[in-house]
Amino acid sequence: MKRLRGVAASPGARRGPAAVVAAGSVSLPDAPVEDPVSEATALEKAMETVATGLEARAAARGGELSEILEAQAAMARDPELLAGAQRLIKERALPGGRAVMEAGEEYALALEASDSDYMAARAQDVRDVCRRIAAGLAGETSQLALEAPSVVVAKELMPADVADLDLHLVRAFATEGGSRTSHTAIVARSLGVPAVVGVDGLVSAIANGMLVGVDGDSGTVYLDPNPKTTEMLDRRSAERAAHIEELRTMAGDEPAATKDGTRVEIAANVASLPELQAALESGAEGVGLLRTELSFLDRARPPSEQEQSRLFADMAALLGDRRLVIRTFDIGADKPAPFLDTEEEEEEENPALGVRGIRLARRHPDILSAQLNAAVRTAGGRARVAVMAPMVSNLEDARWFAEQVEAAGGRSAGVEVGVMIEVPSVVFLMPELASLLDFVSIGTNDLTQYLHAADRMQGSLAGLQDPFSSALLRAVARICEGADAKAWVGVCGEAAADPGWALLAVGMGVRELSMDAGSILEVKAALRRITLEECRAAAEEAASAHRPEEARSIALSLLR
Amino acid sequence: MLEREVTLTNEVGLHARPAAVFSKAAGRFSADITIVKNDAEANAKSMLSVLKLDVRKGDRITVVASGEDEGRAIDELVTLIESL
Repeated sequence: MKRLRGVAASPGARRGPAAVVAAGSVSLPDAPVEDPVSEATALEKAMETVATGLEARAAARGGELSEILEAQAAMARDPELLAGAQRLIKERALPGGRAVMEAGEEYALALEASDSDYMAARAQDVRDVCRRIAAGLAGETSQLALEAPSVVVAKELMPADVADLDLHLVRAFATEGGSRTSHTAIVARSLGVPAVVGVDGLVSAIANGMLVGVDGDSGTVYLDPNPKTTEMLDRRSAERAAHIEELRTMAGDEPAATKDGTRVEIAANVASLPELQAALESGAEGVGLLRTELSFLDRARPPSEQEQSRLFADMAALLGDRRLVIRTFDIGADKPAPFLDTEEEEEEENPALGVRGIRLARRHPDILSAQLNAAVRTAGGRARVAVMAPMVSNLEDARWFAEQVEAAGGRSAGVEVGVMIEVPSVVFLMPELASLLDFVSIGTNDLTQYLHAADRMQGSLAGLQDPFSSALLRAVARICEGADAKAWVGVCGEAAADPGWALLAVGMGVRELSMDAGSILEVKAALRRITLEECRAAAEEAASAHRPEEARSIALSLLR
Repeated sequence: MLEREVTLTNEVGLHARPAAVFSKAAGRFSADITIVKNDAEANAKSMLSVLKLDVRKGDRITVVASGEDEGRAIDELVTLIESL
């Protein structure tokens, strides 16, 4: 047994055979081929298989990802690529895998040389397709096609890789790169599977099929776990499964409510269709935060209205009559998106306090209006849609945003309008905001950071990022008071996923909590055991506490 | 052999999906079809060759078809480019 250390990125412990996602390393035979004619035929067949597979996946996925997959399918069926590779087989007796990679490289290099970032990015698509073809010829399963429950091991997983996986077969994730906030970590948490990221030397130490244990609580990866470790992993995995099953029986399918029947919507934070599917399986009652920017980070140009409305409509179809809260792009200098070049804007000394969220939208109204039109179009198809803007800092921002929604036809399509509360200034503007809007959603991570003027990325200031801090709790209470039931109040920050914190928020008047799929059952179950009056009393007490620890222990007492 | 000139008006150019759609459409004809931009030419049935040609909004390209169904090919492909 060997033990590797990494960063604990998603809780739980599980084991299984490794499915190594090879980035660029397919085992390619070297020996000259003896029968070039049959090798050429085999290549043609392998290309067709890859093309058909990509098309099937494109059809199954829908949305923006299907476009990339469709384009890749066309590459796999490319007659010039085939002719070029077959020429190499005949003239140099190259094995098919090498031939196709060499022929493909010519196109990849030409694309890479383009002055357009978008074209250059397509070079990776060509290489990826050629790798799949070579893998098919070598008899290796396509890198990401899981056939049995597996631990997915990779250098780094790209969003497209993850979308490609049959998520029901993923037992756990382990990656060499990444941090707690990397894409793998977020996806793992939203699927409720364990993950360890940032493990040095991981990929070279693991072969396909090797037994691997992943402990997402301690951040450990076990290679070939010994019987004792295996027993420990299985026990914890079973305990967790039993616990989740228990929660599910107690709270899973019932609408979320307190013991005395106060409805609280428990929604999910998602960025993609697979995440939404996982969230719905965990009992999510809607989407409280769709992070729209995350689907398009691989783009050189802003996504079109059509493309976005396809994504929204796919989600709405899964949601049925449940609500979809679409947050418009939350990007800016500290959260760069390749499709919107913010470099040309002025230089920023404090990007977290700079041009981001709605501030950027006001400079690029066309990008916002494509999003709003797509949202309105989806709502017109009878979906329950809401839109909200990030980083609103005064009434003027909120009014402008509401006007844009109105101009897109939002009101008549029944689209609810809201803003995120993450800038402290708007906490004091609540009565007016509530009459302008249908709802507000509190982004606790940013609100806490801005309330305390403490950078949340700075580890040494983590103490100032506590959601149980008096200032944050009082801010939430004040927001609910100010909303005065004229607008509904939700929470979509990480704090909503903490059952104790969530109950305090409900006591203050919050009626929607949006979180990672993995926390939904836990919060639903906690709600069922308590009355609104108990939450109210605890909330009052917690808000008058002087230290976060006091407030936290008051919250914990609600869970007992 | 027939040829016709056309200007690309599609915002994103003949890239990725449009290139895939175009080459797929071209593949349905038996005629040999090439597109020419400046001095470079590409097999219209090859998505990668079309991509490599890097046709952008405003570029003028010539579609050349030669074979039994060349007339229909030119008509349909030029219409397709105009509607992308």
